[in-house]
Amino acid sequence: MPEPTFLDSTELVLNMGPQHPSTHGVLRVILKLDGEKVTGTECVIGYLHRGVEKIGENRTYAQFNPYVDRMDYVAAVSNGLGYCLAVEKLLNVEAPPRAQAVRVILTELNRVASHQLWLGTHALDIGAITPVFYCLRDREEALKIFEKYCGARLTTHAFRIGGLLYETYDGFEQDIRAFCDWMDPKLAEYEELLTNNRIWVGRLKGVGILNADECKEYGVTGPVLRAAGVKWDLRKAQPYSGYEKYEFDIPTRENGDTYDRYLVRMEEMRQSVRIMRQAVAAIPDGPIMGKVGKVIKPPVGEAYVSIEAPKGELGYYIVSDGATQPYRLRVRPPSFVNLQALDRMVAGGLIADVVAIIGTLDIVLGEVDR
Amino acid sequence: MKRLLRTIFLVDLFQGLWVTFRNQNPKYIYTEQYPAERPKVAERYRGAPRLNINPDNGETLCIACNLCALACPEALIVVTSERNEATKRKELTTFTYDTSRCMFCGLCEDACPVDALELTQDFEMATFTREGQIWDRQTLEEGPKPTQYKC
Amino acid sequence: MADEQKPGGSDTPPPSGKEAPAPPAKPAAAAHAAPPKPPATMAATPWDSDLSRQIKERFGEAIGETSTYLGQNFVVVKPDSAMSLLEYLKLEADFDYLVDVTAVDWPKRPERFDLVYILYSFSRNERVRVKTHIADGYKPGTAVGVHLAANWLEREVYDMFGIEFAGHPDMRRILLPEEWEGFPLRKDYSILKQDDRWVQENLGIPSGQ
Repeated sequence: MPEPTFLDSTELVLNMGPQHPSTHGVLRVILKLDGEKVTGTECVIGYLHRGVEKIGENRTYAQFNPYVDRMDYVAAVSNGLGYCLAVEKLLNVEAPPRAQAVRVILTELNRVASHQLWLGTHALDIGAITPVFYCLRDREEALKIFEKYCGARLTTHAFRIGGLLYETYDGFEQDIRAFCDWMDPKLAEYEELLTNNRIWVGRLKGVGILNADECKEYGVTGPVLRAAGVKWDLRKAQPYSGYEKYEFDIPTRENGDTYDRYLVRMEEMRQSVRIMRQAVAAIPDGPIMGKVGKVIKPPVGEAYVSIEAPKGELGYYIVSDGATQPYRLRVRPPSFVNLQALDRMVAGGLIADVVAIIGTLDIVLGEVDR
Repeated sequence: MKRLLRTIFLVDLFQGLWVTFRNQNPKYIYTEQYPAERPKVAERYRGAPRLNINPDNGETLCIACNLCALACPEALIVVTSERNEATKRKELTTFTYDTSRCMFCGLCEDACPVDALELTQDFEMATFTREGQIWDRQTLEEGPKPTQYKC
Repeated sequence: MADEQKPGGSDTPPPSGKEAPAPPAKPAAAAHAAPPKPPATMAATPWDSDLSRQIKERFGEAIGETSTYLGQNFVVVKPDSAMSLLEYLKLEADFDYLVDVTAVDWPKRPERFDLVYILYSFSRNERVRVKTHIADGYKPGTAVGVHLAANWLEREVYDMFGIEFAGHPDMRRILLPEEWEGFPLRKDYSILKQDDRWVQENLGIPSGQ
């Protein structure tokens, strides 16, 4: 307990309200402060709740596909991949190898784009204004590829149930290779700006520590778990969509603080580029759509399928009663479960640390609230 | 000793500053001077919808099969038709498309069997009224006419 | 929100059949012409492994079935023993990660809700589902004592279904406003419905639609 000051102040409750540039969306954090030290936090969410799960019960499987992109709107392709894989699991079909390879390429491209946005906004919250310009500018190249492939930059609706709708456009492989070659020096540039910068290290090292046991208790997954030392990635543990064919490392660190999470995500971007290079070198020929009927009516049953989204484990639990519309469509959002750990991570920190920790958790309110 | 010198002389901060100065080179300017230079969107871009017309005889390609209306997740397309007794076929009368609720997912475009409904590269669809967002058949065939500004 | 509303704001009722469009329009007569069959059930096969045998041995009567469907194993347990099963799985079988807590509403059954816990074990690299059937009004025990991740997940189940968890440290709504009435993910809550009283009091408009 700090020494009582001559001001004899009581605990202050401050509202880091839903409108705040650093909360990555409409998140309300009620801070209990003792001076600048945070003694307790409480997250109030639900400002972006759109009832996606209820909508899922009233749309056919193919019609629900575009809604899925709008949850984690930063990395829309991953959401689509998870949903298509879940419905394909219920239908017991598998996408053909060519579709799987293109899906892997687009998903990894989307992971790089998502981490770039994370880096830019996280640096902006800390106070480094330059990286956000560079990250968003460089992210444009990835978004251009999405636009050329499926017609939209943000809400891509790239995949269909059973495979792909669009064949890759002419120049797809060249574009991806050019992106990979162009990305490596850019990553080095971001690192040059930030990694050894004393202000960056000073703000991030030792802040928001969440060790491996706490991560597992809170159900936290994704780069947060890997920075705590657990070498676990769903792409290696339970591979989907052909990930077992590609060689990549799982970056981990030991401390579990914010600086480690930054390093893990930078390394993940490099590994994503590595996967893209391998995948684009060996896209098999063949059909792009599996054997899925015109009307998608899975047999009665249920399935839970999860993928390694850029934010963590994104899971879809779909219960079907044999109709053309799902009976229950549950989305297990990584940001929602990760955000629970905010209270533990902030313990004893300052207000500035709260901002850094919300940034490092990489939450997207569209996913938290659905 | 080396570490001390690096710390005193702010080497790490200058390294970052050098990156910023390097990027001042005019070849790294990415700003598009909109509306003077409009972005070139991709061929497959899902923008404003358009009802295509057969170029030879000026008739609409739409066969009023209603597949686009059934495919739409938001149910915002309304297609009415009447039966032409002479050719015993359905003919399109009205086609209403509510762009204010449209999420430009492209499911209607995918569903159309004759490629009559297409999402074009137009993205400038702003209107001053809500009613202006609900497009009838004529607006769909002609496309949005955004104001062209002289720069 | 009004997915039944015709564009143009006309007041004519939406054409029937818009509720469940099947792309493309296949003749729907086939479904109606078939004679009434018993409702189809999930084609689950029994799950037989060391783990399922251990669970059956330990809990005996409380286990309804241990089955597998599409390669995913699940256990149906009586509601009173659900917490001890979760504890057993965490401490003895190493299922230390609670992936998800959710519920499914089957209004025609007397035991209306299906409470589903999805667990994962890092060391075994295996997932298992624990399902219980609970009736409306029953208060299952909270899993927060076993897995901290259940805190917000159970709050969301309460918010959406109205299932209260006994012993939860903070049992209140999480996504919807505190004063909202009604539980949206129940099947009797129509998709067009909103809590009009809350909307009028707080937003000042007659209805959210």
